[in-house]
Amino acid sequence: MILTGSEIQQQVAKGAITIRPFDPACLTTNSYDFHLSDQIITYKNNVLDVKQEQEVIVHTIPDEGFILEPGILYLGSTQEVIGSDFFVPTVHGKSSTGRLGLFVHITAEIIDIGSLNQFTLMFNATQPVRVYKGMKIGQVTFWKPSGEITIYNGKYKGLNGPQKSQIFKDFS
Amino acid sequence: MILTGNAIIKAVQANEISFDPFVTDQVNPNSMNYRIGDELYVLNEGLLDPKQEKTFTQLVFGKNGYVLEPGKLYLGHTKEKIGSQMYVPKLIGRSSVGRLGLFLQVTADLGQLGAAHQWTLELRVVQPLRIYPGMKIGQVSFWTVMGDIEKTYIGGYTAHNLPAGHVAGRTIT
Repeated sequence: MILTGSEIQQQVAKGAITIRPFDPACLTTNSYDFHLSDQIITYKNNVLDVKQEQEVIVHTIPDEGFILEPGILYLGSTQEVIGSDFFVPTVHGKSSTGRLGLFVHITAEIIDIGSLNQFTLMFNATQPVRVYKGMKIGQVTFWKPSGEITIYNGKYKGLNGPQKSQIFKDFS
Repeated sequence: MILTGNAIIKAVQANEISFDPFVTDQVNPNSMNYRIGDELYVLNEGLLDPKQEKTFTQLVFGKNGYVLEPGKLYLGHTKEKIGSQMYVPKLIGRSSVGRLGLFLQVTADLGQLGAAHQWTLELRVVQPLRIYPGMKIGQVSFWTVMGDIEKTYIGGYTAHNLPAGHVAGRTIT
């Protein structure tokens, strides 16, 4: 089951869901709109390899915005720290960004229960699109799980800001 | 509701979920990691027409891996046989591959209730990316259903263990 907006607000008040900072005006009927932080990273290499640790270039989004180009992978992050030990978050774009052809996550929209950090966003633009720091860029929903819960204790635990892939550690 | 990792383990033990071979180090808090098998195909270039049979070329996908290129669609498959008559599977990638710009599944991540099989994976990249057979590439979650389960999937892809792309019905055992 998916939580309604008012249920998300109640669970935030009880401490069962963390959204920090929290603004009730960002609640929708069944999700919460999150905002883009001012950090974007790109990989130095064009050709990537899952076995190799990649170096990144850190960009700060200026006031006039930052243009995302097709064919380049950008990692951004939410301004908000988000997570729950009781509900499973899923990440989505907003229909208004989707209508501009902008993907804000790639393939892994389901977040592990117990993970608590600024979400890394994965941008893939269909046409060049300008984004601004602090803009509403996506939404998070929360789902009730069934079964005994084991809290996330993986490679990205507690890491804030855009986080590059650490999959190379699988091969070490 | 989405099953927690512990609930997935119990369901596998109770034969309500098939995940074969099953190893507990692939269990996440609310999903199971799956590996990519060693057959990889690329969709041949040219105009696609849903009325015509699509053609694929099999690629050499050995220990040196393969560099996926942007603008192409690749078909792979899960190494594991995955399925459930009771819970709806949802097959997606891991965030560790999403962070490298790899899409797994193009739009249809929701599976059908039904028999276990090796799932076909649809791969697309933003930048060139080298992947390797046998790597943990994606995750599958399982969702409880509401309502009577009157029929399970018996469509054209039921026995579709190889990513041959269409209803040719090739299987491996």
